[in-house]
Amino acid sequence: MTRAVLALARRALRNVLRRPQFVAPLVVFPSLMLAANVGGLSRTTSLPGFPTDVHGFLDFQLAAAITQSLLLGGVSAGIAVALEIEGGFFDRLLAAPIPRIAIVLGRLAATSVIAVAQVAYFLALGLIFGAQIRAGIPGALLVAAIGALAGTGFGALGVMLALRARSASTVQGIFPLVFVVLFVSSAFFPRQLLQSPARQIARYNPLSYLADGMRDPIIHTVRATPVLDGFAAAAGIAAVAIALSVLALRGRLGDT
Amino acid sequence: MKARARVVGALTRRALNEILRVPGAALPGVLAPTIFMLGISSVFGAAIQLHGFGTTSFRAFVVPVGFLQSASFAGAATGVNLARDIEHGWFDRLLLCPTPRVVLLGAVVSSASLRALLPSSFLLAVALALGVPFPGLLGILLAAVLVMGLAMAVACYAVLIALHFRTQQAAPLMQVGGFVAVLFTTSYAPAQLLTGWLRTVSRINPVTHILTGVRQGFVAHVTWAATWPALVSLAGMLIVLGGLAARALLRTGA
Amino acid sequence: MPPAIQAVGLEREFKGGVKAVAGIDIEVAAGEVYGFLGPNGAGKTTTVRMLVTLLRPTGGSATVAGFDVATRPADVRRQIGVALQEAALDPLMTGRELIELQATLHGIPPRQVAARGRELIERVGLANAQDRRVGTYSGGMRRRLDLAMALIHSPSVLFLDEPTTGLDPVSRVTLWDEVRRLKADGTTVFLTTQYLEEADQLADRLGIISGGLLVAEGTPSALKAEVGSPHLDVRLAGTDSLAAAREALGRFGLVRPTSDPCRVSVAVPDGASAIAPVVRALDDAGVLIASLDVVEPTLDDVFLAKTGERLADDAAAA
Repeated sequence: MTRAVLALARRALRNVLRRPQFVAPLVVFPSLMLAANVGGLSRTTSLPGFPTDVHGFLDFQLAAAITQSLLLGGVSAGIAVALEIEGGFFDRLLAAPIPRIAIVLGRLAATSVIAVAQVAYFLALGLIFGAQIRAGIPGALLVAAIGALAGTGFGALGVMLALRARSASTVQGIFPLVFVVLFVSSAFFPRQLLQSPARQIARYNPLSYLADGMRDPIIHTVRATPVLDGFAAAAGIAAVAIALSVLALRGRLGDT
Repeated sequence: MKARARVVGALTRRALNEILRVPGAALPGVLAPTIFMLGISSVFGAAIQLHGFGTTSFRAFVVPVGFLQSASFAGAATGVNLARDIEHGWFDRLLLCPTPRVVLLGAVVSSASLRALLPSSFLLAVALALGVPFPGLLGILLAAVLVMGLAMAVACYAVLIALHFRTQQAAPLMQVGGFVAVLFTTSYAPAQLLTGWLRTVSRINPVTHILTGVRQGFVAHVTWAATWPALVSLAGMLIVLGGLAARALLRTGA
Repeated sequence: MPPAIQAVGLEREFKGGVKAVAGIDIEVAAGEVYGFLGPNGAGKTTTVRMLVTLLRPTGGSATVAGFDVATRPADVRRQIGVALQEAALDPLMTGRELIELQATLHGIPPRQVAARGRELIERVGLANAQDRRVGTYSGGMRRRLDLAMALIHSPSVLFLDEPTTGLDPVSRVTLWDEVRRLKADGTTVFLTTQYLEEADQLADRLGIISGGLLVAEGTPSALKAEVGSPHLDVRLAGTDSLAAAREALGRFGLVRPTSDPCRVSVAVPDGASAIAPVVRALDDAGVLIASLDVVEPTLDDVFLAKTGERLADDAAAA
């Protein structure tokens, strides 16, 4: 089983590297949005209610860019699986003498590796343009750990969608929804400064806790509550998403 | 001349088939600008407290960004469709007809301008329902002209990319051009509130003038002083990008 | 009458120095069906794309319907119809919409578009399917629609690039009949194919391309005669009459060696007309025969002689 998972994970990673058009949306668009947000709204740090101890707006926005990138990574994983289903390669995997769950776990293992790379990219980008990671290397590692867990969860959601929809264009149509859930969270802006009803919804949106959990080591030292909340949100998303993807796999196998 | 106009009409109708006959495929593109507008205004709405916006409604300030995004998405989608036509051989069929290639380009980009009206109209309806002030008939007409023109300009850029790479895999490259052009302007805040680098970029970016032209009706009223730079910028973009696209099309097969 | 298609030293070199077409001379008379044979990668499609103005030649020159492909491409396009290797059709449109669009693209007046479209749709047997989306069509139906679209403006020269690849035998024969009909109407047809039987059946003359060069040209029978004469293959009823059979057949031509003791093969330049005298001679010699076949050299033999490869294997692999 482990061997199958690792082999499929290696394959998925290789495919990502060979198809840069799938990588671009994960980092390019969030980077551009980060630049536009920081360039356009840096003065909002002076608004009443904005945390006063933040080094800069870029520091605050990094977690939003990471969260956005991880969500898009999940959609990308879903598109990749949907293309395999459409092209027939998925059936080839099903016909192989490996545990069927390895097909999903292999993809998720690759997604978690990519997630770490995404986090590293944005932290490096932030540092290059003047951000500080207040909690230092331990803080960066915490951000990476939360990000990897969340990325795995988003990947599982993508896989679940692909197994249900069986069409890459349907999975691709989810892109706008990514922004909907992101906007009704505190990923981009402090919750107390959001407009209604986003402020209310953000209270219950796990992405708020996820983003805040990754943000805290960047703008503060390591504080237990936000970081643990972040881990809990990521773990919750991952657990639910993996369960749903396993169910979706069972449903697909039931059809074959 | 009439024959060429018929060709443009026929190809434009065909290009709109994707929206009319596969509505599900076009839905994300129609909804995206509205989602973005609602999201940005919900998230960053408090920014209106900063001085310099010239309006009390952040939503009214960012709605025009959504219009330009409609144009950008429509233009990019046109390029992606052309890339698909190239991959599937349909484009060869167009190249084989005796219609001048410049006319074919005209047909492709004109479909983008019409396509941009769909998400724009939806955005306008939602914005007005949420209390954004009506920009007046002149403001709407001007916005329509600028949106359609920008869609054509972005379509020319996307066509250039499609002809160079000849594959749908270049789609992100087509999308990023319009994305950058629209966002790196006074999209979220007036020029005096932007950081140094973005202020400089927005000053150079011709889309900033187009955005100002669309925005003026929503935050104040339409004036010639804010209109003519928008029209000139648009014309310049169409001439440059249209010229490059036409040149690339004429050189296809060389 | 000037040739419908003329190429002199036609060349196409791609980036990296790859010469897909290395200088070919072709002349196709008006009203002729010219078959263009060659294996995958020989340069057939590149040649066609240059002649139909989709690719610019990097050397030499070509005229189609009297117009230079490099300097008067729009005039060339007005005169030609093209059905390329892939039947590039829009799956979201119906057959009728597509053919009417093609008519509009070729400048057919609006008043005539519907009628002309109907005429061609009926001609290719798609009347019942014309209002269905092309995405629901079979491969054979797509090919037929592709051909109808290529004919919408009554071109004087028609290019068919591997038109029957992937079709079932019935559809293939239907398309052959259409090509014969076009020839009868006076249309010049430039047909590329990997199928020897297709070339043999349809072409007035053939050109064989290999490695970007034209290695042979002529009528099918002339090309076959170049590589050998027909022979009679006689299967004997028993092995005891082998010597007598060889002696009886020796006076008709060279007796070819076979490893089968029940078979005798003799070269007969006159072909099938030698059957009767051969049967009489064998009968006079008391030789009983089980079967008798006339075996002609094939185009595959021609291809093998000219290029060192068998085209039949390539087509089967395709």
